[in-house]
Amino acid sequence: MVGITTTIPLEIPLAAGKNIVDLNNLFVTHENPQELIEEAEMAGFPRNTCGWIKGIYGAIQKLDIHEVISVTEGDCSNTRALMEVLASQGIKTIPFAYPFEHSRETLSEQIDSLAAYFKVDTAHILAAKKHLDLIRRKIHEIDRMTWQENVVTGAENHYFQVCSSDMNGDIDAFSDEIDSFTEKAAQRKPLKEGLRIAYVGVPPIFPDLYPMIEELGARVVFNETQRQFSMPFTSSDIVEQYLHYTYPYGIFFRLKDIQQELEKRRIDGVIHYVQSFCFRQIEDIVLRKNLHLPVLTLEGDQPAPLDARSRIRIESFLEMLRAAKAAT
Amino acid sequence: MTGLGIDLGSRQIKMVALKDDWFLWFKSFDTIPFYKQYSSIHQGKLTIDFKGVGVDLHHEGTRIPVVATGYGRNNIDLENARVIPEIQAHCKGAEFQTGLSTFTLLDMGGQDTKVARVEKGLLVDFIMNDKCAASSGRYLESMAGVLDIPLEELSRHSTNPVPLNATCGIFGESELIGKIIEGHPLEHLCAGVNYALLKRVLPMLRPFDMDNMVVTGGVAKNEALIELLRTKTKAKVVIPAHPQFNGAIGCALQAQK
Repeated sequence: MVGITTTIPLEIPLAAGKNIVDLNNLFVTHENPQELIEEAEMAGFPRNTCGWIKGIYGAIQKLDIHEVISVTEGDCSNTRALMEVLASQGIKTIPFAYPFEHSRETLSEQIDSLAAYFKVDTAHILAAKKHLDLIRRKIHEIDRMTWQENVVTGAENHYFQVCSSDMNGDIDAFSDEIDSFTEKAAQRKPLKEGLRIAYVGVPPIFPDLYPMIEELGARVVFNETQRQFSMPFTSSDIVEQYLHYTYPYGIFFRLKDIQQELEKRRIDGVIHYVQSFCFRQIEDIVLRKNLHLPVLTLEGDQPAPLDARSRIRIESFLEMLRAAKAAT
Repeated sequence: MTGLGIDLGSRQIKMVALKDDWFLWFKSFDTIPFYKQYSSIHQGKLTIDFKGVGVDLHHEGTRIPVVATGYGRNNIDLENARVIPEIQAHCKGAEFQTGLSTFTLLDMGGQDTKVARVEKGLLVDFIMNDKCAASSGRYLESMAGVLDIPLEELSRHSTNPVPLNATCGIFGESELIGKIIEGHPLEHLCAGVNYALLKRVLPMLRPFDMDNMVVTGGVAKNEALIELLRTKTKAKVVIPAHPQFNGAIGCALQAQK
């Protein structure tokens, strides 16, 4: 089993017949994710470090993973230090970068070197891509059913899209799960129309965010980063596909996609989730300046249910949106 | 009485009784003794012994409507009361107390600092302190304790502030002790504390228009901080007559609706 620290060109290890697991998902769905964080802190990871980094470290230790593809550029510099710690423990680490200059040439080099590591050729990669694209298209359909047909909840949308980073660790089983869900959802009546919320930023570390929003008469109909994991701009060319993938290329590139989707999905308000101690907290400044909708910046640190303060803030935010909507 | 408003704060429980647009009375209690003495849980709901606190909720055979706010609508479930979000309560209270309909509200309570923007009576944006309560009234209480002076004395001084840079309110105590040992005059130490609070609040105010700024919560009684806010922002600073009861007033108004 090969672990990944965030979405990578999944086509390559799959072409090599490897079993891939997204360490973030492994951490956050673990029966006791808090214990994984504690394990990292006992090993010396500072308290004021991103919970995802510590969780990934804990998951690798607990679940006995010996090979990890680490994204060293386009995600965060903490991953680089995590990779160094893992390497010092004898864990095989394979670096992969989404170069900041965002050029075809530099990204090609990265993809080629990953392919060389796994000893796979273009034909095999393209075959794997074809297989993956089939499933990705089904996930795009779930997304469309969320915002256009209104028959899928925010939590369901989040789940299927976030799992596309590693196809839930088992591509065929995941494909079956998607089929059976889509069939069921297609029979549903549209959900009650309330406030339409966009969720932007990295996936939440809180397990209960989506149900809580729905309890308060609102629904997430856009999950920015999770949707990106499903490669919404599918291209037959693998390099081009990962050039379109917005998440690793800075806030301005992400903003274009966000702005377009906010309009298309008729969004009332935006929840910008930021992880404590993450550099993306700073990007909130640019995001707020460029979005012409109310934004609630929600900060999460530990994998635990929403704390009282965050609940107050979400609740007040939704009340505010409701009052604004009623006034127009 | 036509409406009762209750604000269940982290340091104090505030109650306001209204008869139409007139205040009948104000009551406040320290939070923990209040819960110990006058509250219980009845079928999963918080129940207040109104008789015990001297409030008669019955008037000519009808029950006076009660609206409450406090530590999250999800966290309090007060029997026979409607619970509204804090931001809403505070904005309504400020609007009523000042007569303004367009303003930036700065509410500084025991643990919370909230900044909200109200335009033509409509709440359009807000932020609250999160994860850290070093920008709250509790910080001032704790620093007054270190200096061994009453809050009123601490609140008088705003000039020549001693630099205080600790991010954490607890480490701030040892930092202040260090400054006492260095021999700084008490006035400068007090100004330093007030200035440290101002430095935490200014970034929260930055995104909002600075036309009218209504300051509420217990910290509104800190003259030095108000003076610093006047100097450092271009806003017209307005302190309502009952800054600490502002949330409870907002609730009482909603109760009448």
